[in-house]
Amino acid sequence: MITCERVTKSYPMGHGRKQVLNALDLHISPGEHVGLLGRNGAGKTTLIKLIGGVEMPTSGKIRRKMNVSWPLGFTGGFQGSLTGYDNARFIARIYGHEYTDIRGFVEEFTELGPQLKMPVKTYSSGMKARLAFALSLAIEFDCYLIDEVIMVGDANFHKKCHYELFEKRGDRALVLASHSPELVREFCDRALVLHQGHGTIYTDVNDALEVYQTL
Amino acid sequence: MGTLAQGWRSQRRVIGALMIRELVTRFGRENIGFLWMMVEPLLFAILVGFLWRLMKGPEDHGISVFAFVATGYIPLTLFRHCATRSIRVINVNSSLMYHRQIKLQDFIFVRVLIEVIGGCMAYVFIATVLGLIGEFPVPADMGAFLLGWLLYCVFVLALCMVMAPLSEMSDVLEKILPVATYIQIPASGAFNMMSWLTPQAQNALYYSPFVHPMELMRYGVFGARVNAKWDLSVTIVWTVVFMAIGLILCRRIRRNLVVE
Repeated sequence: MITCERVTKSYPMGHGRKQVLNALDLHISPGEHVGLLGRNGAGKTTLIKLIGGVEMPTSGKIRRKMNVSWPLGFTGGFQGSLTGYDNARFIARIYGHEYTDIRGFVEEFTELGPQLKMPVKTYSSGMKARLAFALSLAIEFDCYLIDEVIMVGDANFHKKCHYELFEKRGDRALVLASHSPELVREFCDRALVLHQGHGTIYTDVNDALEVYQTL
Repeated sequence: MGTLAQGWRSQRRVIGALMIRELVTRFGRENIGFLWMMVEPLLFAILVGFLWRLMKGPEDHGISVFAFVATGYIPLTLFRHCATRSIRVINVNSSLMYHRQIKLQDFIFVRVLIEVIGGCMAYVFIATVLGLIGEFPVPADMGAFLLGWLLYCVFVLALCMVMAPLSEMSDVLEKILPVATYIQIPASGAFNMMSWLTPQAQNALYYSPFVHPMELMRYGVFGARVNAKWDLSVTIVWTVVFMAIGLILCRRIRRNLVVE
């Protein structure tokens, strides 16, 4: 279970502050799939970072009663100058897994082959997404935070994600930020529409998508 | 108790992983890698030792100049390296905040720990080499030496806990660090014993946190041949105060940290 209570986040901007999220409430139960909708800059990534504990809210509280993944997105979580294998080793160590146990899965899922011996900064966003997904799936979380990143992969990656995440781990909770109506409609039970710092939760995803299209 | 033990295990895993990561990014996998850590204090001790020997002769106040320079320079370079490496350490590592079990104090701790390990290795190596040519004594009181070294390292850690978050708040620290470490030399106790100084100077330096562990380390190495005096409570008070301020500052920085 994750609860966000009156979560507010602002960043310094010039002499004032830019209010990104304003007194947002959100409750995510185990196994629930929540879509995040909103225009560019509406605060989807910020909210995911706050839920993941990457950044701290300016005010308000976030409680995590389940094992939440790090935000799987285009950036973050990796050290660019280290190789894919080194990053895998590092992440295995800090999450208390045997590297040898997850290595096979990472090689198989990413299909990066010898590229895993190259520094991560030489990877394309699709390749980074593969590595991030492979590692987070190997570590097994109760809740996955996904920021757009599914869309950057190719068809083969989609298929694998689909199987590993939505079928094999369909019982896990999911927070999915996305601009793709199809993805949200297919996989989410509820959706949160972010607009001008305020969040509105819709129990019917289609209602949320309708509102989102008019923004 | 269960959660405490879990937390401890997790903390150890994080520190271990960060150490390896830091060593790989800093020294790479090839060449002599980690051994580079010892080279700088080694060169300092030997080259400055030669210089002093030419200027002052083989002995100063009855102790080998080489040994005296080495016992001063190794802790001094440790402090300088730690200070330099704690500048912006939070910013350059901020992408690690993606993993909640990693705290930003861990970055500071790991960098200081690596320097301390390098310093220990350098010390053992230099003392052995100088000892073989008869320029370094067998330590008179190993316990006193280790206590001094430990306290010195803990104080440096506390200082870095303050410097790292301060360097994120303002660039001033980075700009003044070179001159500050230069000005610090007389207060470091590295190049003279307290007993060689005038009473006024001794009174002033009494408040320096560096001097007391340095005197204790020198006593541990040279024994009664140096008239060492120390009051560890001075250093302990500084350490506790810096550590408390540092942790508060780190907390503030963490709250406002923006991670890409």
